[in-house]
Amino acid sequence: MEIREGLLYSKNHEWVKVLDGKAKIGITDYAQSKLGDIVFVELPEIGKELKKGEVICILESVKAASDVYSAVDCSVEEVNDRLSNEPELLNKSPYDDGWICIVSMKNKDQPKELLSPESYKKETEK
Amino acid sequence: MMRSPLYELQKQLGAKFTEFSGFEMPLYYSSIIEEHFAVRKKLGLFDVSHMGNVLVGGENPEELLSLVSVADVSKLHPGKSVYTTFLREDGTIIDDLIIYMISTNNFVFIPNAGQNKIVVPWLCEHAKKRGLGVEIKDVTLEWMILAVQGPSANEAMQKITDYTLDRIKPFECSNITVANAPVLCSRTGYTGEDGFELQFPTRKNGKVFSSIFETGKEYNVLPCGLGARDSLRLEKGFALASNEFAGGRTPLEAGLSWTINWDHEFIGKGAVLKQKEEGNYERTVYLKCKERCVPRRRCEVIDNKKNIGKVSSGGLSPCLKKGIAVAHVKHESREIGKIVSILIHKKEYEAEMIRPPFIKKGEC
Repeated sequence: MEIREGLLYSKNHEWVKVLDGKAKIGITDYAQSKLGDIVFVELPEIGKELKKGEVICILESVKAASDVYSAVDCSVEEVNDRLSNEPELLNKSPYDDGWICIVSMKNKDQPKELLSPESYKKETEK
Repeated sequence: MMRSPLYELQKQLGAKFTEFSGFEMPLYYSSIIEEHFAVRKKLGLFDVSHMGNVLVGGENPEELLSLVSVADVSKLHPGKSVYTTFLREDGTIIDDLIIYMISTNNFVFIPNAGQNKIVVPWLCEHAKKRGLGVEIKDVTLEWMILAVQGPSANEAMQKITDYTLDRIKPFECSNITVANAPVLCSRTGYTGEDGFELQFPTRKNGKVFSSIFETGKEYNVLPCGLGARDSLRLEKGFALASNEFAGGRTPLEAGLSWTINWDHEFIGKGAVLKQKEEGNYERTVYLKCKERCVPRRRCEVIDNKKNIGKVSSGGLSPCLKKGIAVAHVKHESREIGKIVSILIHKKEYEAEMIRPPFIKKGEC
């Protein structure tokens, strides 16, 4: 199971890549392995405003639906449209081709509350 | 929680387990989707030992079995089997099952997981009430059931038995030897593909699963779990007891009227006949969505902004890559070809009412 360096993590198993006031968001390798085959992604609408902890996206695996929560206060700028027809990218490439969306952050200090790769690793071992 | 005798082996094969009717069984090994395609295109091997095995023998067992089932079991011949349902007096389904006639006065049936505990005492009660000398033996915990399913099943299985498997036609069964173990082999299953189900006492036959698995490697066999079992049966429109008639539906409401042989007497017949004549019972419909989506159990079915019913089983069809669902709707709402919608996460998805199956043989 990969926990990639250079990313920040939430306890809900999302990763965040911070770049100039924006954040790229996805789910971790650990999350995808627990969900099993993901067959449907309900992507957020562009422009949608979200508070930290609100549902940004719904993933459907074969057996169950799971919510993905926004790790920061944000508005959605861009979504990964490929996921509509290829939701399996979330399983195959959770950190690269399987990214979910790019958001602009409302509060630049919020990423500091997220976990480092080392802390997230401990979280998955609990 | 109960486990299959193959639990340790399944764990070694990487199974992810789930609880199903009191049993801890594999949900999947590698991926539900991959296992689904293995069965549709080549070969899959399932352990379904959570299901029951009940032996019925003694004097005239067919008399009792005909009385309690909507199929006329007295018309079966040795080596044949029939899919049927057992009903309560009010016509609602207790369980759906296949009854196999092994030889004269010698039957076995496979109730759903956990249902043996309900069905066996109920059968004994009816045998006693009518003074029938039938012997009923629940061997669920002593027997195993394997399902070998997929277009390569016949060829693969032929390598580990001397019996000419072509002689066993769909819904037929025979006592044969597989990997040096005596098993009851039937050409039945729950996937809609060709294949076999093997029933046998666990005691001396620990190697049947491994033998099939080893032989099957040539056909890229995958061990399969309950996840693929569910998606495979759903694409064929086969009923799942816990979804389609749990809580008391009749065969008419559950879309199983075709299992009823009206020319014999059976428990619940009066109630079902009355319902048939009145005609205003809920209908089972099969909904094929126009796009990729995942309808789930309890999703609402909408027609012209009105709620007309609910989904009992649903999911994404791995073959169609579209949502598919079984639903129960008001009787006047059923119309093949009609477009309705299914409400999923507050969004409506269009779906067409079709005749099952969702996938025809070889279509995937």
